[in-house]
Amino acid sequence: MSVELKIVCFEDIFQYESGEKSRFSDEYRQLSAVILLDKQDMASLGVKDGDKVLVENEISKIVVAAKTTDDEPHAGLAFMINSVWSNQLLRDDLCNASVPRFKGITARVAPSQEEVTQISEIVQRLRA
Amino acid sequence: MTTCTGCSLLCEDIELVLKTGAISEAKNLCRKGQGHFQALFTERTKPMIDGKEVTLDQAIAKAAEILKNARTPLLYGWSNSTLEAQTVGINLAKKIGAFIDDTSSFCEGLLMERILNGKIPTCTLDDVRNFADTSVFWGTDPSNSHPRHLSRFSYYPRGEKRQKSYEEERTCVVVDVRKSATAHLCSNYYFRVPPDGDAEFLESILTVLDGKIPKTGDKKRLIELGTILKKTEFGVIFPGPGMIYSMQDKMDLFEELVARLNEITTFKVIPMVGHYNMRGFNQLMLGQTGFINSVSFRGGAAGAATTHGPEQGVALAAKSSDAALIIGSDPLSALPFGTARALAHIPLIAIDPRRSLTTDAAQVVIPSALSGLEAGGTALRMDGTRISFEPITESERLSDEQILTRIMEAI
Ligand code: SF4
Repeated sequence: MSVELKIVCFEDIFQYESGEKSRFSDEYRQLSAVILLDKQDMASLGVKDGDKVLVENEISKIVVAAKTTDDEPHAGLAFMINSVWSNQLLRDDLCNASVPRFKGITARVAPSQEEVTQISEIVQRLRA
Repeated sequence: MTTCTGCSLLCEDIELVLKTGAISEAKNLCRKGQGHFQALFTERTKPMIDGKEVTLDQAIAKAAEILKNARTPLLYGWSNSTLEAQTVGINLAKKIGAFIDDTSSFCEGLLMERILNGKIPTCTLDDVRNFADTSVFWGTDPSNSHPRHLSRFSYYPRGEKRQKSYEEERTCVVVDVRKSATAHLCSNYYFRVPPDGDAEFLESILTVLDGKIPKTGDKKRLIELGTILKKTEFGVIFPGPGMIYSMQDKMDLFEELVARLNEITTFKVIPMVGHYNMRGFNQLMLGQTGFINSVSFRGGAAGAATTHGPEQGVALAAKSSDAALIIGSDPLSALPFGTARALAHIPLIAIDPRRSLTTDAAQVVIPSALSGLEAGGTALRMDGTRISFEPITESERLSDEQILTRIMEAI
């Protein structure tokens, strides 16, 4: 089972504070490597809060923890805090106005048995 | 009293007591600023070449050598550096014929260009505190990104003409794709837009301002918004990255909305700049080159050699450069996969007070002093107000300006 979702990124002060202390800490990973999903999408995927999901698109793939939002219904739309995890899925082609399509991530999300992607793995991919 | 360089509000009223290895007391510092200053004590960088610790002189000499031998160097970052450091950086770019760009080419640049060229009216944050009765936060969540914005300027303070403040005299409108912390705070006037729906929402506001019924959206609420905007005496729109990414090449429409609002009443615009001195870099570049960012000086310092465009912006320049100097920024973490990967494959020189993905990947790491705490200087707040600050603690680390000057001297 998987669902195709649009992902919008946002800023979070607690994650930011943690990142200022260290980008390499467990705390920063736990706060960053999370996707916020609508109740309906959580049900379609058969996952509950804290379960791991694989988020994959034509750019890259990452495993993050799923969490239900308390926002109004927004099936088909997910949210991630801006971080190196969300940036793995981001295209860098430019629109006519020469800025990247930061808010335009589309990705397929599926339950996963793997562990959350570590920052060291991301660094390896960037350097490969 | 010190100045926080944690965001572009550059709060000048911070009282800190430092003791060895920690901040023991802090007054007026928000959580974001607290995190920013924690960087003093955690994961500080050391001078390195190829992963091995070296002396500062060796790191600076190696950086100069890399830049001197590069055919198409890129100098990137700048938004977290003082005006003094940015000035030296621009001179360095001219001297070595480099690409130079800052974080604005990935976000607020589209709007900042129009503000600095006078196409969109703006004002200071002090005007907002004293006169504004309506603040529109569009695609931004200051409660998380600029935590003291509402308390110092836009919602809670009792300004000269706004003594009754948020209780009676100030309205806060939030336009966003998600119900952010700020939207919760101003929930009566929260307008949800679908992703990439900002242009359509904006057209609906224009329709309402013309006294017509909008074709799409919640008509009743849009008419209510139109009424708030028309009744405003002094309004300010604060567009954030969410709005700019969504509008992209339709920014003319935003200009049209602001012009239309100013036919009815007074409306100003202040971009919600993230990093503390992005505006400073944009303003300096505009003065020196006619462009706010994404410039190449390839071919020499003569004005005629200056080129500007997407090819000179970091997203494309990262793929055509053969070396890069990164200052006060962590592009390997903050930029899209393709751009970060391109940078990870060329020799990098990272000037940074603390460890990051970029310093880990850099061939040369040069530790720097933390602006506002260990080094003084000048910066432009998000509204263009010039703020000077002194260091509050001594440090043996050089400032960005000193490091860049030494690199330049060595080339
Ligand atoms: S609002 Fe910004 S400048 Fe002010 S204390 Fe917080 S992080 Fe620092």
